[in-house]
Amino acid sequence: MQAATSPEQDLADVSRVLAGEVEAFAGIVRRWQRPLVNMAWRYCRDRGRAEEMAQEAFLRAWRGLAGWRRESSFSTWLFALAANVFRSELQRVPVVNVSLDDVAEPAGPAVQHEELAKRQSDGQVRRAVLALPHRYREPMVLFYFHEMDVAAAARTMGLPEGTMKARLARGRELLKKRFPHLGEFSTAALGSAPGPEKEVLQ
Amino acid sequence: MKDDLNSKTGRDSIDAILADEGELIPSSGFLAATMERVRKEAAAPRPIPFPWLRALPGIVLVAGVLGWCGYEMVRVGFTEGAETSLAQMHLTANWSALGPVGWVAAALVFSLASWAFARRMAGGSGLL
Repeated sequence: MQAATSPEQDLADVSRVLAGEVEAFAGIVRRWQRPLVNMAWRYCRDRGRAEEMAQEAFLRAWRGLAGWRRESSFSTWLFALAANVFRSELQRVPVVNVSLDDVAEPAGPAVQHEELAKRQSDGQVRRAVLALPHRYREPMVLFYFHEMDVAAAARTMGLPEGTMKARLARGRELLKKRFPHLGEFSTAALGSAPGPEKEVLQ
Repeated sequence: MKDDLNSKTGRDSIDAILADEGELIPSSGFLAATMERVRKEAAAPRPIPFPWLRALPGIVLVAGVLGWCGYEMVRVGFTEGAETSLAQMHLTANWSALGPVGWVAAALVFSLASWAFARRMAGGSGLL
């Protein structure tokens, strides 16, 4: 998810905030509220909680602004910080979710209203991501949040890209097992039955 | 990297469902509420850092006393044998030679030191 922002604007606002101008932080919140709320939403699928978590992330960003060393881009720093906040918030109060086995498979073609059926089916697949084991859940969330950019997702999690790819492959495989009707998921390309950390995507 | 992943797997149904999700728009009060919290945070006094420099003499003193006690207990334990109880060690340390007046004086000195240490930590002009 790309923010309508430029690194120069972020840099300028950060400098103003560090110089003591509190109101300059509003520019940062204005530009990054959509990405952060959407990121939080993908972690918890609860709008109210997503906004609370995003707000907490902004507050932590405010406190830690002086710690941004400018070696990485502001967005990389902010997303990594937000991921940490969301992770610890969800550890503190976990999302009420069901096990992957309990997520119902979508109804078949007998459903008359195709659009509604598709929406329900898609919703079940998205909720199923939250039912994945923890180590595969967050890579899946961040990979799709970053518009399928493995490198960006890996930077946000602070993981090597190889590890991220392996976890993604495993997460997608688990989803595919749960929802076998979902298209042409190429298990041949992913390798057969990969281990949790095995590098299966080149 | 995106291309690497997709060149092998193709964009499948899972990708389509998870990537093409609609975007959530933050509520209209989100910015104001966030800035309100930031302003409160900015207005709050900064947390007082722990005064390590002031605490250092006290920490050294306590560590010294504890170390000395430990040393004495081990020394007495060796001389009296393994079966010596803590109470016996206490007595055999010859502290009883201090007498009641000595114990009261020691307690007073310890109390004074604690008071001075507390004053020092609080930034007052204690005796230390």
